[in-house]
Amino acid sequence: MSAAIETRGLTKRFGGLVALDSVGLQAASGETLGIIGVNGAGKTTLMNCICGLYRPDGGDVFIAGERVTGQPPHVVAHKGIGRTFQVPRVFRKMSLIDNLLVPVLDRRASSDAELTERAEEMLARMQLIGLRHNYAEELSGGQQKLLEMARMLMPDPPIVMLDEPFAGVHPVLCKFMIERIEEMSGAGKAVLLISHDLTSIYRLSSRVVALNQGKIIAEGGVADIRGNPAVIEAYLGA
Amino acid sequence: MPILPRLRDPADRIYYTLVVAIGGALMIYFALVPVLGLNVAFHFYLMLWITMASAFNVSSGFSGYLPFGYVAFYGVGAFTTAILVKKAAFPVFLALPFSGVAGLVLALLFAPTLRLSGIYFGIVSLALAGICRLVITNMPEEITGGSFGLQLGSRAHPVQAFYVMMAVMVAALAVILWLSRSRLGKALRATRDDAEAAEMMGINVPRVRLYGWLVAAFFPALCGGVEAWYTNVVDTETAFNTLTTAKTVIYAVAGGLGTITGPIIGSVVMVWLDELIWRQFPLLNLLILGLATIALVLFLPRGIVGTILRRKPQWRRYVP
Repeated sequence: MSAAIETRGLTKRFGGLVALDSVGLQAASGETLGIIGVNGAGKTTLMNCICGLYRPDGGDVFIAGERVTGQPPHVVAHKGIGRTFQVPRVFRKMSLIDNLLVPVLDRRASSDAELTERAEEMLARMQLIGLRHNYAEELSGGQQKLLEMARMLMPDPPIVMLDEPFAGVHPVLCKFMIERIEEMSGAGKAVLLISHDLTSIYRLSSRVVALNQGKIIAEGGVADIRGNPAVIEAYLGA
Repeated sequence: MPILPRLRDPADRIYYTLVVAIGGALMIYFALVPVLGLNVAFHFYLMLWITMASAFNVSSGFSGYLPFGYVAFYGVGAFTTAILVKKAAFPVFLALPFSGVAGLVLALLFAPTLRLSGIYFGIVSLALAGICRLVITNMPEEITGGSFGLQLGSRAHPVQAFYVMMAVMVAALAVILWLSRSRLGKALRATRDDAEAAEMMGINVPRVRLYGWLVAAFFPALCGGVEAWYTNVVDTETAFNTLTTAKTVIYAVAGGLGTITGPIIGSVVMVWLDELIWRQFPLLNLLILGLATIALVLFLPRGIVGTILRRKPQWRRYVP
């Protein structure tokens, strides 16, 4: 059976800088794959290559066994990938409801009323329902992260990629987000989770990939990664 | 049969009630202008600017593009009607749709510039408008009339042109009203706010932008055609005058981009102000209008409607 998401030999260069160097990983449905690494390790570049924002210089991306390398982001999104961003990228001058409708605008089979109802359910799950008519720019940073999460889940994608979901978020909100992420994997989604917050990564992930300078330096279960000398060196220095 | 569709949200009911009330009042008022002997010329140009500013709003307020060369569509529309009527002996009513088509064709030719954004797009669009003007100026005199332009002769019929302008305005506002509530409108707004994020959410950004661009180009081209008919004369100097773009931008910004009522209110206020200043101070008209515009931008940077909605965000759902 093919993985929900897989990369093979993914390489991305920016001029002389090798941001990703032959990265191969895979995540199955229902699995949370943690991706860790220091700043500049290539974590976000990896996500951008997977979702089609960057065209890789080498290697391939597969979604449910189908090669999607080099396809434009909107095509890749329709293959079943949802994502959030390190710094929230909400549609600032649109209401929360409209923000959630954006990923499902092409769903001709569903009426506007049905989609709006679903959007309201999603906002209720994220405890944002009271603000549904506000502009997204009027939310706090943490609320914008929740809005992104709701927007990502709106089309019910089988693969979700979360880029630093806990960065700059209050601990109470972090706990809430962790519960939502657990629900996602519980619902059978393949979750790719990037975070500097190792405690959360270790709690949520069934497997972890450690990146350093664009290369995978370690891969395995949480216990393997915790004690891995290469990971410790990359994080703490020699 | 009810005028309004069945709406589950009370806010939607208020929204559409306001649309019908304001739209109906405007239509009745404009329709009665020639009948009541009011100033036809003033109201003709008021409708023209409402249409221009509203169509510009699709490009700028909905899509995030600021085309400094917006007059190109207007000018090409004006010359299309004039050439077809004068040189090909088309009836005016048959020539006018071709002005709209000419606007669409020009928009398709300009479409590659939609890859640009911000000030770069604005400058390139200004340059393209200049090119359009040069091309038409240098076309054979027997087609475009050279520096004298084209005179439509006995075709002038101000009252008919007035009502056609009204029909164009109503059509433009109806399309923009539909667009603002449609899925395409939401996709355009998402693209305006963050094109990359929108694309990663599944929006085909180039296609959506093109649709918005075509809508924004169609109506000014029609306006150009109707104005050519109304004034009975077209020349490159007036048809491609950058002041047309400037006024369109000022009126739309004065009212507030991104809403339907913004460009309407902006046009009404500024055209009326323009007329008032012109009557009182004919020699200082542009100077005073410029100062009024600066004051407006300084004190109401989001425009009249934009500022009101900023202060009363709870009204956003009710105001078209």
